[in-house]
Amino acid sequence: MTPSVPLMWLVLVGVGSPAVLFALLGGATLVNRPLPERWTGWLAGSSMAIACAALLLAFVVYGTTGTGTQLLSYGAWSASHEGGIAIEFLVDRLSLGFAVLSTAIAGIVSAFSNRYLHRESGYDRYFVLLAMFVTGMMLVALAGNVTVLFIGWELVGLSSALLVAFFHERPAAVSNAFRVLSVYRISDAAMLSAAVLLRHVAGTDSLSLLFGSGTASSIGLSTTNATIIAMLLIVAVAGKSALLPFSSWLPRAMEGPTPSSAVYYGSLSIHAGCFLLLRAAPLLEQTPAARVLAGVLGGATAVFAGITTRVQSDVKSSLAYASLTQVGIIVVEIAIGWYTIAFVHLAGHACFRLLQFLSAPNVLHDLHGIEDAIGDRPSPASGHLEAVTSERVGRHLYLIALERGFLDNVLDRVVVEPFTRLARMLTHLDEWLCDAVLLTRRPVAIDGGDQDE
Amino acid sequence: MLHDASPPGHPLTHVIDRLAHLLPAQGPISIFIHHNTLHAFEHLPFEEAVERAAERLGREPFLAESRYREKLASGRILAKDVEALLIEQLGASGAQDVAGVGPRLDLWRAVVLHGIPAATGRELSWILEETDALSRLRTDVPANARFARTALRELDDRMDDERLAVRRLWNACLDAVGRADASPVPAADTPVRHRDWLLAASDLDSDAWIHPPLIRFLAGYLDQGLAHWSMPERGRGIHGCFLEIYGTSLAALCGRWARTLPRLVADDRAAERGALSSIAHSLAELGVHDEECADYLSAELLALRGWAGIVRQIEERPDRVPARDLTVTLRGYLAVRLLFERAALDQAARQLSFDGPLSELRPWLRHRLRVRPVLAASERAWPLFHVAQLCGLDASIVEQWTPRHVTELEAELRQLDGVRRRRILHQAFERAIRHRLYDALTHHAPQRPPEPPTFQAVFCLDEREESFRRHLEEVEPLCETFGTAGFFNVAMYHQGVTDAHPRPLCPVAIRPDHYVAEVEANGDHLLERSRRLQRRAAGFLGYNVHLGSRLPVRGAVLMTAFGWLALVPLVLRVIFPWLSSRWRRMQQTSITASRTRLQLDREDTVPPIGKHSGFTLREMTDIVRRGLEDTGIRDRLSSLVLVIGHGSISLNNPHESAHDCGACGGGRGGPNARAFAQMANDPRVRQLLAAEGLRIDLTTWFVGAQRNTCNNEVTFFDDNLVPANHQAAFERAREAIETARRREAHERCRRFDAVPLWYPPLAALAHVQGRADDLAQPRPEYGHATNAFCIVGRRTRTRGLFLDRRAFLVSYDPLRDEDGAILARIMAAVVPVVAGISLEYYFSYVDPTGYGCGTKLPHNVTSLLGVMDGAQSDLRTGLPWQMVEIHEPTRLAIVVEGTRDRLWRVVQGNAGIEQLVRNRWVWLACLDTESGTLWEMQTTGFVARTPEQALAVVAGESASWYQGKRGFLPPVAIVQGRAANRIEGASGTFDERPARAWPSA
Repeated sequence: MTPSVPLMWLVLVGVGSPAVLFALLGGATLVNRPLPERWTGWLAGSSMAIACAALLLAFVVYGTTGTGTQLLSYGAWSASHEGGIAIEFLVDRLSLGFAVLSTAIAGIVSAFSNRYLHRESGYDRYFVLLAMFVTGMMLVALAGNVTVLFIGWELVGLSSALLVAFFHERPAAVSNAFRVLSVYRISDAAMLSAAVLLRHVAGTDSLSLLFGSGTASSIGLSTTNATIIAMLLIVAVAGKSALLPFSSWLPRAMEGPTPSSAVYYGSLSIHAGCFLLLRAAPLLEQTPAARVLAGVLGGATAVFAGITTRVQSDVKSSLAYASLTQVGIIVVEIAIGWYTIAFVHLAGHACFRLLQFLSAPNVLHDLHGIEDAIGDRPSPASGHLEAVTSERVGRHLYLIALERGFLDNVLDRVVVEPFTRLARMLTHLDEWLCDAVLLTRRPVAIDGGDQDE
Repeated sequence: MLHDASPPGHPLTHVIDRLAHLLPAQGPISIFIHHNTLHAFEHLPFEEAVERAAERLGREPFLAESRYREKLASGRILAKDVEALLIEQLGASGAQDVAGVGPRLDLWRAVVLHGIPAATGRELSWILEETDALSRLRTDVPANARFARTALRELDDRMDDERLAVRRLWNACLDAVGRADASPVPAADTPVRHRDWLLAASDLDSDAWIHPPLIRFLAGYLDQGLAHWSMPERGRGIHGCFLEIYGTSLAALCGRWARTLPRLVADDRAAERGALSSIAHSLAELGVHDEECADYLSAELLALRGWAGIVRQIEERPDRVPARDLTVTLRGYLAVRLLFERAALDQAARQLSFDGPLSELRPWLRHRLRVRPVLAASERAWPLFHVAQLCGLDASIVEQWTPRHVTELEAELRQLDGVRRRRILHQAFERAIRHRLYDALTHHAPQRPPEPPTFQAVFCLDEREESFRRHLEEVEPLCETFGTAGFFNVAMYHQGVTDAHPRPLCPVAIRPDHYVAEVEANGDHLLERSRRLQRRAAGFLGYNVHLGSRLPVRGAVLMTAFGWLALVPLVLRVIFPWLSSRWRRMQQTSITASRTRLQLDREDTVPPIGKHSGFTLREMTDIVRRGLEDTGIRDRLSSLVLVIGHGSISLNNPHESAHDCGACGGGRGGPNARAFAQMANDPRVRQLLAAEGLRIDLTTWFVGAQRNTCNNEVTFFDDNLVPANHQAAFERAREAIETARRREAHERCRRFDAVPLWYPPLAALAHVQGRADDLAQPRPEYGHATNAFCIVGRRTRTRGLFLDRRAFLVSYDPLRDEDGAILARIMAAVVPVVAGISLEYYFSYVDPTGYGCGTKLPHNVTSLLGVMDGAQSDLRTGLPWQMVEIHEPTRLAIVVEGTRDRLWRVVQGNAGIEQLVRNRWVWLACLDTESGTLWEMQTTGFVARTPEQALAVVAGESASWYQGKRGFLPPVAIVQGRAANRIEGASGTFDERPARAWPSA
């Protein structure tokens, strides 16, 4: 059935509003004429409000008129050759729901940030990146084909890394941002490979076929190919949502201003992976192996993060691992097939964790308040992990949790070091080759470089 | 068994104790006590101290030179002050000729006022090649140097000639330097730690390897209840606990650097070393000799000074943290740190293919150190080139410079280096601020107190009460106000009805003996019980949500079923904070107990903390007597006396306690005010006082209150007990306070950039109320920012004077204090508190990321003890930038009314204060009671000040002066009602952000 015209307009406004904001703020900064604080704050707030209202309306319109998945096509960018970049959005209850949630949360965060970052020298930069992020989230939520999805995915990742490095005068912030970015690259590479493979074997990049109700074979995917694509998607999801074995970047990402940590790692970005899995549910259902993999990864992550969060003694790491615990559980729910529960869980978690992250600096106040109300320090609940394990095992477990599963070290040794060694080897090879070729022509020493005559 | 216990006579104990003074002395953040950041340097004169500390700790002693130049341009620093200071400091040598350039005074003045841009290496090359430094003369040269320039211009106005002249001057400087002897190479400071050698020689940073796990371990060990699973084996002390937890082969997985860590731990365990012997062993392994041991350990301690500091604080005052199962010692920390360090150095040595023992690592690295380049000719010529321009020297003169000239000039410039220039500029800056106050005080005509006053109000001496008192006096001209240390002499542990634990409420130097509980008054038992139940239920709910959200299964149920409910508080607190503040206040009153009283009378029960429960009659009498004598209120008691303490409540603010009352040790002073009022109303106390000659009339009634300096709410205690014949006066006072708090909020809002200047008082009050309840607000109030003065004397000398919330006001009647006993105890109580506040703000402003804790935005509360930056960092001490951003870094100017002799006697009688005054950590002045002359304490003794600036008079109310202005405002006299002639000079704010500054009135 053809989508109704109001629906198309509403979705366009929903996606366009943050995109226009991004263009406006980014453009102003680009020509070195940043808007005054007041304008920026007002523009950001109203843009999010407009997007939220439009999408909410779209949700209502869709709910009253539409059924099934609808593909909204807005033409193509480069239709000159076959299968160019088509601007397509895929609309159903899930995508609209997630988009509404994203804009609502982004609106609250932009109102928060407007006061929180008042007089901060990076105020403009922050809002440019926030607008970039929301645009990315909209594309991820509503993407109708892999290309749009990938662009959104990249915008989310890039803005995330840049916000981790928001206080770029501190070395720790920058190096952690690089860490986040490099994990994201792995995730992006997986996503890109999935897209290329899909296009190659199925001749299309449309998600409506893949995520729609059709079966894999109906679009010409063999089970093997479908499994490979699903596995790649799961790798992409694991990177973005910090599932094992990538979890160690999550606490490192807490370098930016509190509201950015809240919206990314408490609320939206961390759930982008779960959302993608939810979208890909039809694909997962046809590929049991990938489904099992997702379940195992989610379960392992939940257990790991659940233990780790108990020993974290700073509020942001504690919240980061607590979020991760729930994300792991949501992934398990998806793998089992409880889609509605998973979505409700996701939405509730996004809202709740946002509040917790935003009021993280209030933790002293909160805990004192609780103590005063109860009349004493609440005693740790008995029967929990630390009480049931033996002393020796407990000490080992504590050290593992304190050191966050040694994941950083493991990743360094298993991935980073071989990779850099390989890169160094290739560099040497390259130099050696160049030298071999060049030396025959220029026998002079390289030193100085000024010996042109 | 392994333990931290070690022989007290161990030589390392002494070394560590001595070094510990270098560490930040900030305790747990929820009891924030302002203190001098450089307490360890107080034995030195201020300037020397800040410069030495800057060198030792790697911090800034003063603001950047460019900041001072901005202040010079905006008139906040006066050239005449610079001149006066130079004359004072150079003395006779100022007239000597320097290298044929001219008298030293002229040279110094020119360089200080105009500066020599520092540039070396590539930066200098860039300046020389890419800017017009070599084609144009400086445009900011002093007047007497401009002759050469104008002469040049007049001769020929073409640009080319200027370029040629400048070129020639530059070449002349280069030649002069070329002819001169090689400049002495500044001695390179040799590092002590292996890590610093390593970094210098090979770019390997072992600290970057070991700090993250070390911080995680320490934070876990010290945690006061943030983690749900607290570290096992904490009772063994830091070192003992470390050996237990890391005594497994798993520890080698901490990182590539940790390969040898399990072996080192096992070694310590096998040898049964305690912390001190472990340190000694590590030092021996590292090849640290006894004579450099102190330097080495201090460098180790300073590498993570925040964490080391909190370890020391808890070691000294374990009673200030809730966790009781800890044995925290600095030596334990050092022992662990050195074990980490050795493991990391092992790895670094392996990476550098060094296979000797660690003790040989430093000598080996020394040979690999890169050589420091000598100064290039252009780098030496650059400052001379600027001197020539500033002094108006022609190239022809420079060309005749001999090597001796160059050497002499360079030696002179080494003396007048950047730090020295900043020091002089800073002194001039403070001088201008201070003198403005001195002149205002000299000119201000004493105001006669109202006779008889309708009511009196005793406030804390806090500078945030200055505006409140002024507004109150403007609203009710017939009232009288006083200021005294905000604990009102009631030093106690106080436990409110809704408090889980008692809390000390008195200056930090005092450890209270008395415990006072707030108890529910008899009466409505059922109601009280249901309220208590409600409170407990709310508490358990909060706890379960807090905990449950971090657990897997409970969390999943909670999020799925109720997660979306979080949108309600989110929207309310973030988008409508004012509404949420209303709602919270309503909810608060329904849950908190209604009628309570303080259990002040001595009881025989054993208190949970302190020595006694309650006070004896005698003690109460002394407290009341002292309060009445100190403030000078004793003979002037009116029928109603309000005693008003203060505190501050804000959300999402780990530094909340820093806004509370300093005299209450970072607590809220309401209970002290209430206790004082209750004591003074006690007929038994009055009887005892009367017997001693201090009569309190039967018609006098005291009422305690607390002002929340953040949302400007004033809460009265025990107002139901006010006798019927005082009701009318009480109502009148209450109304006056209601208006005053609105106006005070209004005045405060002028400093908040986000508040439009046209806001009326009512809107301003609503704004500050919302601010206090706003999750998104990093600056709920500006606290003590802008504090600069402390005036000890009668209110008559300052009443009607607009002091812009910058002055601590202490009431003191010099006429009733012949022997200086009252002054002595006032100064002893007040000076340490106010000096601590002033100096903490000074340092946190001057070096916001070094002495202060940087911007609040990425702060991360850790272990419930303090904040880190972002994911993980050293524990950040000091004040955040958002608290100090509007401050002016100036030492406190204390002005005491009375005679010089008495003041000096009092100062000499108190070693701590004398040190502060002698070393100029505070400025001291005496306002003579009879002649009204102001005497400033200088190195030579008291010197009378001749006022220079007239005091402007503004008719109307405070608002007619401050309305519509953002920046600092100079003192003016506010004259009520009558139209007064305005005196010239009353205009002008000092705002350094011209774009945002309000045009002068």
